[in-house]
Amino acid sequence: MATRRGFLKAGGLALFGISIGGVPGFVARAAGSVKSTGLYKKGKVLICIFQRGAMDGLMAVTPLTDPYLQAARPTLFMSAAKNSTNSPKGSPLIDLDGRFGLHPAMKSFEPLFRDKRLAIVHGIGSPNNTRSHFDAQDYMESGTPFSKGTPSGWLNRAIGLLGHDASPFRAVSLTPSMPRSFYGDNPTVAIGDLQDFAIQMKGNPLAANMAARSFEDLYDQASSDLLKDTGKESFDAVKMLQKMDTHNYRPENGAVYPFSPLGNALKQIAQLIKMDVGLEVAFAESTGWDTHFNQGTESGVFARSASDLSNSMAAFWADMEAFQDSVTVMTMTEFGRTVKQNGTGGTDHGRGSCNFILGNGVNGGIVHGELRELAVENLEDGRDLPVTTDFRSVFSEVADRHLQISDDTVLFPGWQGKKIGTMRS
Amino acid sequence: MAGMTTNKTGVTMNKPGVNRSLFKRIGKLAVWPVCMVCVLSSFLAKEKGGETGHPPGLGGTTDDHALRPAGYDGYGAEASGALFPYKAAGLTERQAAAHLLDRFTFGATPGQVGEVVKEGLEKWFYQQLRADNPDDSLHQLLSGYDALSLSNEEIIKTFLKGGQVLRMAVRDGLIDKDSVDKGDKKQYRAQLEDYMRQKGIKPEKELFRQFVNQKILRAAYTQNQLQEVLTDFWFNHFNVSITKNDCSQFIPAYERDVIRPNALGRFEGLLLATAKSPAMLFYLDNFSSTGRNTNFAGKPFGNGGKQGQGLNENYAREVMELHTLGVDGGYSQTDVTQVARVLTGWTVYPMGEYGNGARKLVETMGEDRLKLGGFVHEGDFLFAPNRHDNGEKTIMGKTFSAGGGYEEGVDLLKMLAHHPSTAKFIARKIAVRFVGDDPPQSLVDKMAKTFMDKDGDIRQVLLTIVGSREFWSREALREKIKSPFELAISSVRGLGASITMPYPLYTWITKMGQKIYYYQAPTGFPDKGQYWINTGSLLSRMNFGLALASGRIPGIAFSLAALNNHHEPESTGAALVTYCRLLMPERDLTATIRRLTPLLNDPALEKKVGDASGKSGASGTGQDGLATQNIGADQNMEATKGMDASRNAGAALGMDGMQNRQTAQNRQRQDPQTRRSLQRNGPDQGPGSELGDGTMMEYEKEPLVQPATAVSNSPLLSQVVGIIIGSPEFQRR
Repeated sequence: MATRRGFLKAGGLALFGISIGGVPGFVARAAGSVKSTGLYKKGKVLICIFQRGAMDGLMAVTPLTDPYLQAARPTLFMSAAKNSTNSPKGSPLIDLDGRFGLHPAMKSFEPLFRDKRLAIVHGIGSPNNTRSHFDAQDYMESGTPFSKGTPSGWLNRAIGLLGHDASPFRAVSLTPSMPRSFYGDNPTVAIGDLQDFAIQMKGNPLAANMAARSFEDLYDQASSDLLKDTGKESFDAVKMLQKMDTHNYRPENGAVYPFSPLGNALKQIAQLIKMDVGLEVAFAESTGWDTHFNQGTESGVFARSASDLSNSMAAFWADMEAFQDSVTVMTMTEFGRTVKQNGTGGTDHGRGSCNFILGNGVNGGIVHGELRELAVENLEDGRDLPVTTDFRSVFSEVADRHLQISDDTVLFPGWQGKKIGTMRS
Repeated sequence: MAGMTTNKTGVTMNKPGVNRSLFKRIGKLAVWPVCMVCVLSSFLAKEKGGETGHPPGLGGTTDDHALRPAGYDGYGAEASGALFPYKAAGLTERQAAAHLLDRFTFGATPGQVGEVVKEGLEKWFYQQLRADNPDDSLHQLLSGYDALSLSNEEIIKTFLKGGQVLRMAVRDGLIDKDSVDKGDKKQYRAQLEDYMRQKGIKPEKELFRQFVNQKILRAAYTQNQLQEVLTDFWFNHFNVSITKNDCSQFIPAYERDVIRPNALGRFEGLLLATAKSPAMLFYLDNFSSTGRNTNFAGKPFGNGGKQGQGLNENYAREVMELHTLGVDGGYSQTDVTQVARVLTGWTVYPMGEYGNGARKLVETMGEDRLKLGGFVHEGDFLFAPNRHDNGEKTIMGKTFSAGGGYEEGVDLLKMLAHHPSTAKFIARKIAVRFVGDDPPQSLVDKMAKTFMDKDGDIRQVLLTIVGSREFWSREALREKIKSPFELAISSVRGLGASITMPYPLYTWITKMGQKIYYYQAPTGFPDKGQYWINTGSLLSRMNFGLALASGRIPGIAFSLAALNNHHEPESTGAALVTYCRLLMPERDLTATIRRLTPLLNDPALEKKVGDASGKSGASGTGQDGLATQNIGADQNMEATKGMDASRNAGAALGMDGMQNRQTAQNRQRQDPQTRRSLQRNGPDQGPGSELGDGTMMEYEKEPLVQPATAVSNSPLLSQVVGIIIGSPEFQRR
């Protein structure tokens, strides 16, 4: 509980209207603008996006020159060459470096990669070879790939290692329920939509104000410290967020967030960052990656998810223009998919995949990691892209460089691997 | 272990007349590659374990202590007339009854404190230990849920995951595989729905909806509250999760057949039953664990499979760390590996469409030959000796000699169940649930001693609690923070509400931070106040109180006037006192009342609240993000807007003028809409499910048990009650 006191000390919140009966808080909201609360100094923020369902890394970032891939994926293969057989319309893949081609639906990643803000790690995954979504996600989020009973998630432990006073918004997951990554003793918030951060009475702000005032008073007098302190934090948080109007929010720099759960989550994270509410770790989810059926090429199931992910991240980056030094975005996915396509135009559960890291401190413009030719003898179990980079190697480096968390024995107990230079030193 | 039809036929494979290659094939087939889409489900026919009956064959449920003893004997305390020592702790009988109800039920119902006092606290508690109160009205409420009585085998035939349906439809040629995820979604969905109707298939979601609903209804209405509280406790202790697709379909039967019947039994029975259940075998992967010296070791499973065969230590580790000894219980990593070796071959009996091949083989052999070969088949459980590591093992100093087969696993689990570390670990965990987040060590020691002395009899451990001074001490009172589930159910019980649709409550419980049945880790939800209370969840609790009291949670009806026997409080102040006492009997409420009284005496209050009820929907200010949950609320507000806002607040509390049939009609009319909103809020299918929401329209029908009570509550009174439910005092138990 010690870490929570900082927020209370910060106190000093002006009354934002909610506790003055009769003056609805929303009046205080300017039209869509976001103002800093001035309560916290700008700190670093790590945003993690879990791509649930296991992204086909070979389709997202294709090894262009690999002699085996086309045979393994007769209808899924795309080339970077103009007017290839499978893509009569033109050149689908975006040639990144002569070796790797980016999926066309991820074209909004291209300028970020060229600008060296975006790094890709290929062949990333878990040392545990499970091909169960549940197990692999569980291991990746707990950060302990061989131990199921680890009660906490790696991001919760990261929060604990930050070692300074905390805001109630220090760790926020924009998801309807608490992700495994956030399980643990350090206070975290999971909330589907920040609009829910208020006392709510349908169409009835006056009654809501009255109820809020009553609750605030009651919790202020609660004999349980836990309820009293958290109550105070809650109402301070409500007051902070009253400055925020998610409906009328106007992203800066012409950023356009996709109208999707991920786009909405990143948009709200951007607002929290701009308000200086003390956010340090944020979490969001991207879905639709379990492409067993008709994965598609330039369009289709995979392309839809790929475009949502890249457009959401690119919009966030643009919107964050003034804050880009403070933020790093990292994606993760539980495993990759089979090198060969299956009988239903899709791919099944595999091993290695790739991930994306975006930020000014990132060693960008590079596809990191190791990818051998996809000859059967180079594949794990003769079928899957082998894992050549342990996810903990990348996660710990990002946490270290971006958040100055260097205690890997806490972050990833039992892991003693090396870092691979995904962040600039 | 009486009741476990254990097989004593030995384990050697060299019985005459047994076709060994057949065994090999069974061994191969007995492990299904389980990926979310290629769910090659498995498993076995089991007779239905009905509502109250003991399930056959799952082991450990009917041992020498009958689950529900006929008489009072066996409980020394009661026989000797010993009273619970609350008087020595300075509690009145009513205070003690309230405390007892706070801890051993999901909350007191109106008047229940008095009833328990009248019956006698001790007598009430023994009756709860017997858990044989008739539950006819609950069963009536549950009768509309057709999935609840199905066996696992029936469930996996009926309730399929999106991917499974898709594969079947493609295989049967009803859907062209090239059209999946392409083209006209609407038409494609319609095609799939048609196919499902023809085949009698329902979406897995519907199974979980019924399952969640039954949990809420049971908790709210069973007369055997303690059994349900313990079912909740043990489920969480032996947690399995719907988030894991491999085990999700088996979870309803797990709670029904494995947990509930053993909740008040002996710990050993509970442990054995969980160890052999498909839900646990899949959740912690033991179903696939194979001995090193068998034919199956080290072979990667075929294309699309996930499990390389071989030893899997997941269950072995957690059964010691989380289920029995505790992390500091005195075992080593070597012990984990040895335990895993002992439990190789403990798997699930083949069942379901994808298990057909293995099932046929097994049935061809017949039970007699299976036995001869050392197989053990009990219900859904199968011990496959050809997958078992037959070598010698040593665990925590005890040697299990070679060739121990199935029996050595049973011996091992019994050893763990009766280990002193287990006694301490379980005693502490029970004390945390019933006494406090940091229970007195003196009490934990007493409970652990009882656990050892009484052969792990859970009822005896509970009797040790209520017989202790520590339980009744001032420090223990109100010390626990209610979980979101406990908060929701205690509110419903406290208001004497009738639930016609449980699911909206579940949506709220999730919002408050407890997505029941979906906790991913085998630890289960942490049982401590700090876990439940954070800024987001606390606001949700307050909003829950307001939403519930103002009738904005569909499917829940109650009359505040009836709660107070239709006595009209004389003033807002009187209403506050009255409803605080009704909802939180025997608590010291002076602080709550003192803080709220000035607010309620605000001269502008009644105008505010009056305006509130008249202005519904007028201001879409973004204050309210709960639009989907609020369907029906607008109508409700409309119906009461005739209330004269100029009357004084006291008069506004009168209920008689406000009973309004139109409200009830509005509720009825809203039902279809509400249902659609429920559907949107339905349980996730977990990551990667291929079918979206559009596949289940017609399964939305809730058994409408009784029409919603035609009562509309006074807005001001509702507001007061909402604040009470959201108050810090009501968060405690």
